[in-house]
Amino acid sequence: MKKRQSVEIMSILTTILFVYCLVLPNISFADEYSSHIVPSQANTSDSTYVVDFENDLIPIFTKFGCNAGACHGSAAGRGELNLSLFGGNPQADYQAIVRQFSGRRINLIYPDESLVILKPTAQTKHGGGQVLNENEEAVELLLNWIKQGARFNTQRELDRVEITPKKQIIQDLEASIQLRSIAYFSDGTTKDVTRWTVFTPEDTSTIKIDTTTSTAKMVRPGRHIILARYLTEVIPIEFISPLNTTPIDNTNLDRTSSQSGNTTVIDSEILKLLATLRIPVSAAADDATFLRRVTLDLTGRLPVPDHVTAFLADKDLTKRERLVDTLLQSEEFNQYWTLQLAKLLRIGGQNGNSQGTLVYHRWLEQQIQNGVGYDQITRSIIMAVGDSHQVGPANFYRTTKSAGEQAEFMSELFMGARLRCANCHNHPLDKWTQDDYHGLTAILAKVNGNDQVVKVKPKAEVIHPATRETAIPRIPGDRYLASDVDGRAELVDWLTSVDNSYFAKAIVNRLWKAMMGRGLVEPVDDFRSTNPATHPVLLADLAKDFVKNGYDLRHTLKRIAMSDAYARSVNTLPENVNDDRFYSHALKKQLPPEVLADAISDVLNVPDLYGDEPEGTRAVALIDPDTESEALDILGRCVRESSCETANASTDGLKRKLHLFNGELLNARIGVIGGRLDTLIESGKFPMEILDAFYLAALSRNPTVEERVFWKQHIDDYASAASQQRVLEDMVWSLLTCNEFVMNH
Amino acid sequence: MDITKRCDGISRRNFLRVGGLTALGLGLGNFFLIQRANANTNPLTAKAKSCILIWLDGGPSHLETFDPKPDTPQEVRGPLNTISTNITGVRISECLDQTAQTMDKIAIIRSMTSPLGEHSLGTQYLMTGYKPTPALEYPTYGATVTYVRSQNIKDSSGESLSALPPNIAVPNFTGEVSGNGYLPISTTPFSVVGNSEKEKRGQFKVRDLDFYQGLDIDRLSRRRQFVNALNEFSSAKDADTESVADPELERAYNLITSPEAKGAFNLSDEHRDVRNRYGSGGVNGIGHSCLLARRLVERGVPFVTVNHTGWDTHQNIFQLKERYPTDRNAHLPSLDRALSALIQDLSDRRMLDETLVIVMGEFGRTPKINSQGGRDHWPNVFSVMLAGGGVQGGQIIGSSDTLGEFPKERPVTPSDLSATIYTLLGIDPSLELHTSDGRPVRVAPDGAKVVTELFV
Repeated sequence: MKKRQSVEIMSILTTILFVYCLVLPNISFADEYSSHIVPSQANTSDSTYVVDFENDLIPIFTKFGCNAGACHGSAAGRGELNLSLFGGNPQADYQAIVRQFSGRRINLIYPDESLVILKPTAQTKHGGGQVLNENEEAVELLLNWIKQGARFNTQRELDRVEITPKKQIIQDLEASIQLRSIAYFSDGTTKDVTRWTVFTPEDTSTIKIDTTTSTAKMVRPGRHIILARYLTEVIPIEFISPLNTTPIDNTNLDRTSSQSGNTTVIDSEILKLLATLRIPVSAAADDATFLRRVTLDLTGRLPVPDHVTAFLADKDLTKRERLVDTLLQSEEFNQYWTLQLAKLLRIGGQNGNSQGTLVYHRWLEQQIQNGVGYDQITRSIIMAVGDSHQVGPANFYRTTKSAGEQAEFMSELFMGARLRCANCHNHPLDKWTQDDYHGLTAILAKVNGNDQVVKVKPKAEVIHPATRETAIPRIPGDRYLASDVDGRAELVDWLTSVDNSYFAKAIVNRLWKAMMGRGLVEPVDDFRSTNPATHPVLLADLAKDFVKNGYDLRHTLKRIAMSDAYARSVNTLPENVNDDRFYSHALKKQLPPEVLADAISDVLNVPDLYGDEPEGTRAVALIDPDTESEALDILGRCVRESSCETANASTDGLKRKLHLFNGELLNARIGVIGGRLDTLIESGKFPMEILDAFYLAALSRNPTVEERVFWKQHIDDYASAASQQRVLEDMVWSLLTCNEFVMNH
Repeated sequence: MDITKRCDGISRRNFLRVGGLTALGLGLGNFFLIQRANANTNPLTAKAKSCILIWLDGGPSHLETFDPKPDTPQEVRGPLNTISTNITGVRISECLDQTAQTMDKIAIIRSMTSPLGEHSLGTQYLMTGYKPTPALEYPTYGATVTYVRSQNIKDSSGESLSALPPNIAVPNFTGEVSGNGYLPISTTPFSVVGNSEKEKRGQFKVRDLDFYQGLDIDRLSRRRQFVNALNEFSSAKDADTESVADPELERAYNLITSPEAKGAFNLSDEHRDVRNRYGSGGVNGIGHSCLLARRLVERGVPFVTVNHTGWDTHQNIFQLKERYPTDRNAHLPSLDRALSALIQDLSDRRMLDETLVIVMGEFGRTPKINSQGGRDHWPNVFSVMLAGGGVQGGQIIGSSDTLGEFPKERPVTPSDLSATIYTLLGIDPSLELHTSDGRPVRVAPDGAKVVTELFV
């Protein structure tokens, strides 16, 4: 009872404050207002308060799930009532509720017999069951609104919503954190809308929200996100709780790896967050591990055994940087990074158009070879026209089947953003609207990629599904363009302008992922304010530096390769074993299928055959992704209908392992005449020497003392040649199957 | 054919997230969060432990199977006669005469209806319960069952019972639909025969299950010992103890070396009479596929899809009965033998109560015979057959109109069917699973209604 009284007193205070605001609208109370605890909505339940359809009622529909995708917010609506998803279109919602079916949902004479009241309170049959209690404040608001004539009554627009806290560091998991949400309107008024803001943890197992009090309690330590939604605004709240109880000291680290001053932002940002989270870093990787890692990452190959020996013997302190430079300038780099970008661009997905695939791939390889800036590559691609059998990048417009798909592909590729959600409704978690989606589609529809010769058709149009009229070409989130001209130049200028906030970030984030095993934004094609980067400052710095250095892929790759974070060991400590995104240790990366296939061939020194390609062709050099290959069938392929960024390439693990045991991939090649094993045996090497040679070839290191002890128990120098051959074959098989081999670590 | 590739070019985003779960990021606990109890599910008891889906690929004619129309003009009723069953008043196609004698164990829904009359779309709708959309790939029944069961096992920290994969397709899975949808690739059906391999009639040769020439169990065991030792060495410096294990390698090894699991594929273990009862002939050997399905279910496999192709009968519908005089192995007689033998065999072994058997395809066929004596695609009404696993036999649910054009009574959508199948298998249709981008998706679509009459 006592509590209730205090609430009432507070509500009177709020009403006074509110009235004061109305009287003196020029005086802003924002700061004071938000710093006091004021019970929300107390004023609006007063029957004299004029209910505003958009700002008062839509949030109710959102809060109680009425306009969610599973209910009336679905594209087809439900039970003949169709609301816009999360209230994206209040006018349409008003029409649906008030006007549709001759207004039968509203009863102005007997307001409490309106269907809009009877249904959600389950006084009459409602497919969604009871979602509101009759004595709920929301019902009161709805009733008052109907009593007032069920008018739209929206005179102000939402400017922004301020959520507090924006970022919360939590030491005590038991603590309840009060979440608050203040709406700022165009007429200068503000309102505490905490009650009507929907707070949803991204992962419900990490944070529990008490919806009646709008408080949050962390369930598991780490960094977690809550999304706060009010009207069209969706805002992320970051919750961080240290993983360990005692502070850690990451300052006194082994810095042998870093020579260049450029790395400081990378490492300082990473160490800063690790300190907040109290996660200690693992040791630096040794030279052999670094050599294998960076050679695989930059060239898609294992280091050759002689190179391993030479690198380990090299005493020069700058040897890692020299290595990185050499790799970046190598032919192998060109070949491998052409493949990486070809997957991203889905080269080869052009409906079996092998001539187009060939010229596109060759063109891309030329760009990489010549070190052409990524902005220029993008410009050439977007502006391309002409015969797709001769002009490589013209095949860009033959990659997808429609302008809409092309818009989705392009936004994911160059902006790292999923515009696709905005096809049928405004993006529920981002700013993208249907105008953006169909506006970009309208630009791309003017390029006709249906025929071999890609041509511009300035008159081509697309229909906006919501307005049923011609969609106006539009640069997403930016501006409308003239309707009957080719808008691509403006689009690419916008994309590659220095202050574009998507383009550079999208690509450096992908480079970061290729090197570090995880994007700063993940998934890499899902940039949005509600999916913030783990390290926003670092991402911004990488992008800025990339732009400043001529959009040079090699430059940024080198910067990452020379950071301490990149050079850390994959071996975890008990205190950082659960870290999969803060880079306290290096992340293991599965070798891509093509790289693994080549690595197996290299270790065995037995080439594999790919389709009709000449013997010795490497898997990473294949241009046609569908080239016949048993090895790739087993290890996985990237069919270029998607950009293969979601690890879908690998085949069923069971099938693969069955094949490794009993199939031909390894068994038919391990002991083959002329292969590495056969050559070593024939040259009279001792078994333990053969072991060393294979360790060097497969794992780029020497066996450890323990490993030698283990192998000595199984390899008998005096056994018969046949039995020795069998043991060695089994040894080689296990080296090619073990985790250390199939991973980049 | 690569099952991740489809001719309509819909880009398939494979939403794999589960693999990377850790204490920091995502949790599994809430995959089971059931947000709203489905009002229809309460009193129904789930009995089915496993399911055999006999998929008649191409779209079987309802008029020539479970919903004949003997009293209609020739161009509708077609060339085949009808036959009475052991349930008074129920008639089915003359070619299903043995199945007719098990009608007391069978329920037929004659009022299935869907708007999707194209193979790929229809297959996706019937196999997932969701109408296809380019935005999301839905998992097929077998994948959902596999996923939910494996989560339950993890929760009770039990181990998988069998060395066999939990979701198996005999001889292979249809290429029209991604088996796993947004669920992990490990839930996708394991094909007994790789698509590339030539199948011999009635023979199942699981790829890479037999030793490579020159290898034996001792060599494999030594190889496994070596690789495990190497994995242990490389993870010794790591605090993460779980990184040692290679679960897929162990599964593969167990499958190869478990005589019991491997033996499941060896049909010659069965008495000749049994094999003959199922039938060894027929295109794609549906008899032996069904026999294998029974052997797999018997060994604890939760979901087996028997994929039987060739039901896209645009020409000469009579060939379903016989392709030449004295032909005993046309599609209908083969199906009849296999299906009746399966139901009887499961019943004799007291397995029928816990094994749900479903016979269906992606749609029905046009009521009117076309100019080539065949029938074209017709999704507006068609039939689905169910037996065992808690299904009350001897009943017909719903009906089609006089000419078999549209549902007359109690239309049932593929979504409704999915809610029903999940409920029979003990999975709440409103159970929410999550895609990689965190979108909650019910196992059966919202609004799908369980066909409660089916339940015992």
